[in-house]
Amino acid sequence: MGILSLVTFLPLLGALILLFIPKEDKTATRAVGVGAALLTFLVSLLTLRSFDPSLSAPEGLAMQMVERFSWIPSFSIHYHLGVDGLSLPIVLLTTLLSVCAAVYSMNIEVRVKEFYFWLLLLEVGMTGVFVSLDLFLFYVFWELTLVPMYFLIGIWGGPKKEYAAIKFFLFTLFGSVFMLLGILALFFASNPHSFDMLELARSHGAFGREFQIIVFLAFYLGFAVKVPAFPFHTWLPLAHVEAPTGVSVILAGVLLKMGVYGLLRVCYTILPAGYEWFLPFLVIIAFINIVYGALCAMAQTDMKKMVAYSSINHMGYALLGMAAVSPTGFSGASLQMITHGLITGALFLLVGVIYDRAHTRDISAFGGLGAKVPLYAGLMSLTCFASLGLPGLAGFISEFLCFLGAFPVWKLYTSLSVIGILITAAFFLRMIQKVFLGPLNEKWASLSDMNARELVSVLPLTVLTVLFGLWPSLILDLMNPTLEALAKLFPGMFQLVR
Amino acid sequence: MENLSLLLPEIALSGFALLLMLADVWIPPKHGRVLFHLALLAAAAGLGLLGLCASNPAAYQGVGTLWTVDPLSVFFKILVLASAVLVLLLSVDAKRQDEHHLGTYSGLILLASAGMMLLVSAVDLVMVFLALELISISSFVLTGFERGDQRSSEGAIKYFLFGAFSTAVMVFGLSLFYGATGTTHLLKPVPQYSYATSTMFLLSCLLMLVGFGFKVSMAPFHFWVPDAYEAAPTPVTTFLSIAPKVAGLAMLLRVFTRLIPHPALELSALFSFLAMLTMTVGNLTALFQTNVKRLLAYSSIAQAGYMLIGFVTADALGREGVLLYSLVYLFMNTGAFAVAIAVGNEEGYGLEGFDGLAQRNFGLALVMAFFLLSLAGIPPMAGFVGKFTLFAAAVQGGFYGLAVVAVLNSVVSVYYYMLIAYRMFFVPPRTERPVAPGLYLFSGLALAAIAVLVIGVYPEPVLSVVKISAEMLP
Repeated sequence: MGILSLVTFLPLLGALILLFIPKEDKTATRAVGVGAALLTFLVSLLTLRSFDPSLSAPEGLAMQMVERFSWIPSFSIHYHLGVDGLSLPIVLLTTLLSVCAAVYSMNIEVRVKEFYFWLLLLEVGMTGVFVSLDLFLFYVFWELTLVPMYFLIGIWGGPKKEYAAIKFFLFTLFGSVFMLLGILALFFASNPHSFDMLELARSHGAFGREFQIIVFLAFYLGFAVKVPAFPFHTWLPLAHVEAPTGVSVILAGVLLKMGVYGLLRVCYTILPAGYEWFLPFLVIIAFINIVYGALCAMAQTDMKKMVAYSSINHMGYALLGMAAVSPTGFSGASLQMITHGLITGALFLLVGVIYDRAHTRDISAFGGLGAKVPLYAGLMSLTCFASLGLPGLAGFISEFLCFLGAFPVWKLYTSLSVIGILITAAFFLRMIQKVFLGPLNEKWASLSDMNARELVSVLPLTVLTVLFGLWPSLILDLMNPTLEALAKLFPGMFQLVR
Repeated sequence: MENLSLLLPEIALSGFALLLMLADVWIPPKHGRVLFHLALLAAAAGLGLLGLCASNPAAYQGVGTLWTVDPLSVFFKILVLASAVLVLLLSVDAKRQDEHHLGTYSGLILLASAGMMLLVSAVDLVMVFLALELISISSFVLTGFERGDQRSSEGAIKYFLFGAFSTAVMVFGLSLFYGATGTTHLLKPVPQYSYATSTMFLLSCLLMLVGFGFKVSMAPFHFWVPDAYEAAPTPVTTFLSIAPKVAGLAMLLRVFTRLIPHPALELSALFSFLAMLTMTVGNLTALFQTNVKRLLAYSSIAQAGYMLIGFVTADALGREGVLLYSLVYLFMNTGAFAVAIAVGNEEGYGLEGFDGLAQRNFGLALVMAFFLLSLAGIPPMAGFVGKFTLFAAAVQGGFYGLAVVAVLNSVVSVYYYMLIAYRMFFVPPRTERPVAPGLYLFSGLALAAIAVLVIGVYPEPVLSVVKISAEMLP
């Protein structure tokens, strides 16, 4: 068993162990849940030791730690895992955020066993999506994330949890069934029939342009719902707001990345002509996501909803970077995935912290908390600054790279998208002002600062945010060679739009 | 009398069935459960005898030319018998109004199974007709078995009227077929469908399709399904929703994709439309059900619609899809009904009976979730592999419209399947009383759950068996 299989299936082992713990024993349940997530994270860190970022293959897709054996020979389906500079950082992000979510969720008191069971199962699906190199396997893992998430939102969520859960399920499934048809179309169009992403990418020349466009659209439906790209974003605010804090972190931090990752890994490498055809639309969608997402966030009075809409805005930056099809744009998009995971993950946790105490998330219900809970105020402000793109913090680097990459190609839309940054700054600053500054709202005089559990779940994310902001090459070096190779994969791209 | 062994399973099964009905007279109702054990033994013996039928292509046909025992028919015979075994297991622990006539009950299940086994072997239209009648008459009686219950009788009457009507139409089709071709035998070398353009021939095929469509609950011949399914004792519902359906599909496959291939008759567009109609009608109506038996009834119509995809494409992959899906469907539908029986024994069959099941019996709720997800086609459950094969067949055959309608239907179906999951996991229980399935029910449930999981995660062995069975179609 290779290390990637280990990382993928360790949480499953944890989930199975959980089944044998009596449900009254909440301490043991939590210990196993957090322990399994932590162990997975530590094992995933081991992959860094054997990972060689500079490794590249002539055709641009150099996979490492590959595991490949026949799974369903009748359809030539393989169990095929591997990582490169694109997927490895996201895998690490996934395992890290799972630990944070598991630690934070230790305050859950009802049906603890089921909670950790579904959470660990969810981690299996998420990790699997990022490491699988066979489209069938990819699809299986993709769908595997649906069911646990449905239960996590539906059982432990907010007031409208049932509606949010089924809406999430149906939206995502609606997109992904078209992806399934796209996968089948690729399978039958390839010769010999194959589900292997790498083989399909090598034989992309065999697919006609119209075929590529149609299949691209089928895949795009699946990915766009997950990103979420306008107009498929309506499930997101609902699901993010209704989900319990730990699950919101996973939703925003990891599940959204599945869409962007899929666009790069599948659509771009296998269907370049379709991708090229779609670029003008992609950049418009990116623009809408950025500005519309920011404006929606601005209009919210609920902190969690505001953070949720800001995710739509941030994913817009990633799409903008991807529309650039240049090394800079791609590294901007990839870095944006990581930084958004860290920053927005931390934001959701911090919103959860105050909600647990005040039982409200209304921005205007607070005031003057800065002196009352200094630690919380400091962390929250820092994270907000990171999210609005303050230089010196991680968010700035990735957003800057996205704009830098996109500007030479899409001057108009890139310039217009800058408005998004302005609005983002506006609503985050307004929130900081209303919550932390001004006179103390006496209602909250007895508010306590963050406890150890909350600090343990938030601090790693904050530390990484600062670290990547000051020293971005720490992570960029890991992904850049791969992304550069990816961007140069199709020298002919852009003939149309340029 | 050469190759009489080919028919041994059916002969044995019918013999046992008659014996069981006789035994009813001597065995007092309080020991009625013994009869179930005897029936189970008979079905198991039938399964064992099927092993004797494995033979070489030269010996597919024995006495006469009415039937053929090829891998396809053996595959479906095993499915039918497995279904009978599972249903008998479920019957032992299902709540009944009275314990009388259990021998008749189990005997009728065996007789219906024998009819289905003959049906999947039939290569002559007279044989097809006889087999269908054997199935129908047994099912009519089984549906109305709860004599004290007016609804049961009403459902049985409805089923009977619809059934009799469709049979009449089919017989008319048969006579036209004879008129057009001068034979009822389907294996006779017929001049390359020179009569395909003949109106009489086309009409005969369409009329026969009415009869077959009735059996597999193809829309628009599905109206009897919800009433009959709701009225019948739940184990019988389980049986009716699986065995006649897959047997009917097997016969459709044999007749309309191999012996009289429908693409040659240019009927593919019609069949494609009927498949779409069947799944859409089933799914859209299921959305509004409040009774679990009716919900599963409409769901089974939709499932038949998916299986019809393989029939529409009429190629090797499509046939494999039907075979695989039938197998998977056997397990997942039996499983879902088994949980429904366990819950229904305590709470009745309203959907609200599922409220808070997760807190009353988490294991039961979890396996029900597995079955529902499998029915919805979510990986890594077996249902996904089945649907995957069928959708693959549609894409390969170029039926893109059908494929799109089918995947959209899968999305719709998730809503009502998850409605049950929603009640089990999200709604607080109305009573803390634990739900305990009986030993027999539990074993049936466990078998189904293991099959659904194993086929879902490692489908290769099943796929290769299916491949062999589908390729050998005469």
